[in-house]
Amino acid sequence: MKFKKIVCTGCSLLCDDIIIEENDNGRIEQIIGACVRGKERFKSIKSQNRILTPLIRENDDLKEAAWDEALKKTLQMIEDSSNPILYGFSTTSCEAQAEGIRLARAIDGFIDSNSTICQGITLEKSKETGVTMTTLTEIINKGDIILLWGFNPIESIPRLLNKILFSRGKFRMTGREIKTLIVIDPVETASYKIMGPRDIPLLIKPASDLELIQALKKICKEEMEIPSEGIAGIDKMDLERLVANLVDSENISILIGQGMLQPSDDGDPLKELLELIEILNTVNEKGRVSIIMGGGHFNMTGFDQTALSLTGKNHSLQFKDSTLIDTEDNIITKIEKNDFDLSIIVGTDPISHLPLEISKKLVTKPMILIDNKKNSTYYVADVVLPTAITGVETDGTAFRIDEVPIKLTKLYDPPNDLPSDEELLIKINNKIKEE
Amino acid sequence: MELRLNSIRLIEHDQAEEFTFGEIEKMEENMAIAFINPEDFEEMYLTKSLKLHLFNEHGEVVVRFEQDEKIPKGTIAMPVSIWSNQLTSTKNGKLLNKNIPVNCEASRDPPTKLTELIKKIKKGGET
Repeated sequence: MKFKKIVCTGCSLLCDDIIIEENDNGRIEQIIGACVRGKERFKSIKSQNRILTPLIRENDDLKEAAWDEALKKTLQMIEDSSNPILYGFSTTSCEAQAEGIRLARAIDGFIDSNSTICQGITLEKSKETGVTMTTLTEIINKGDIILLWGFNPIESIPRLLNKILFSRGKFRMTGREIKTLIVIDPVETASYKIMGPRDIPLLIKPASDLELIQALKKICKEEMEIPSEGIAGIDKMDLERLVANLVDSENISILIGQGMLQPSDDGDPLKELLELIEILNTVNEKGRVSIIMGGGHFNMTGFDQTALSLTGKNHSLQFKDSTLIDTEDNIITKIEKNDFDLSIIVGTDPISHLPLEISKKLVTKPMILIDNKKNSTYYVADVVLPTAITGVETDGTAFRIDEVPIKLTKLYDPPNDLPSDEELLIKINNKIKEE
Repeated sequence: MELRLNSIRLIEHDQAEEFTFGEIEKMEENMAIAFINPEDFEEMYLTKSLKLHLFNEHGEVVVRFEQDEKIPKGTIAMPVSIWSNQLTSTKNGKLLNKNIPVNCEASRDPPTKLTELIKKIKKGGET
């Protein structure tokens, strides 16, 4: 038996305290410390959905192909394209993301990550308003108030609250007893189950976040009293407790979830929330309010960081003549407008996670899929190139949910000598350079 | 009956790691599902043997359902998946996957298979 301490890539928390116990045959005997999602990640090594050989679509069926043949086909598809899009990259390493950006530059493509339609929206909005961000370590050591707004980490990032709410910190020695959890959500999510007497569960009326935020902005500036009937389905006393905590605590962290990213006809809840934070940081004389963006994929924030460091722009990169050019498009508008003639999908499943109308348009053009497992996109791809599982069969760098870089560990060699995403993209980049 | 659809993350029905269930049947069992408030269940005269036919201007899907008193009345929740995304849309380059009007009726049809959805996507792309 032997034990290995590793980083889990089950979600964006990138837990670095997971212990793998192996038997004498090098097989996993048990996984200590991982949540359900983390365990699934390790189990995926042996998943029957694993893609182990390259595949090329002939008529309606995917046929196994040799690597040389699949790469030749891939290069031919790229050569035939004048307007390719590259999409995904949130479940791979920063090194692979960098190679993806190099590929987009080399073939005058457009590259975007899942972040653009997820928490990258928060980052984008914060360019207009400015924002204070925090880290998990700061919340552990100094946090007083943890506010989950439209965010249910129990289901999406299961160990997050174990770490930031229940832990003791340098300046918050009693941990859970003095940290207050506030949840604003229209659904009584699983996160409500861990609430204690000092916590504040706020069941908001569906789709009325904007109404609450706009009122809070006025209340915090003392331009408005809390009405006796409450606001957005939340009663007056709960709102008074909420406001008291927001304006009079030392360290407040707002964790923003998908629920806050929805476009609205009446206004922009996310922009208004960032403005509310700005107001709170003015009126709160004790401390400050900061945010964490609740993205789930293990390296979603990594793409923003990688793109920013390589190009000065964090997402939606359009290259022309190997130069980054301005664009208002993102991956959704590119597909909506049919403004592409080839898609290269890396480590994601757009056919499952994008609306039907977008999926229908995506399948009208040739598609190359780089992934380690079958998914809905696998069934429509024209070429499938299998790769190793990042953070299990290959190492690299990823950015945690709080934008902190974490070194990933390799645990096993991949089956069939599968290349990592990075190695495969380097190979494609080198072949394009040669030609 | 018109309800408001919210697609949400649920750990036991989660596709964040996309297709980790290993078998298509298991994926269908976990993902082709909706959660409704018991009062809406009563109002629609549903029984446990029935399925839900959900449809709107974007698409349609048949899923099995469970009653969940935590789901607000008048809304319906589905895990983020190819099934929920038959009914979602986009707006100004962003995904619109919360608070979406959907028509909801009882159905004796089986839940829509993944292969049927893939076929529909491919066919839709050709037209």
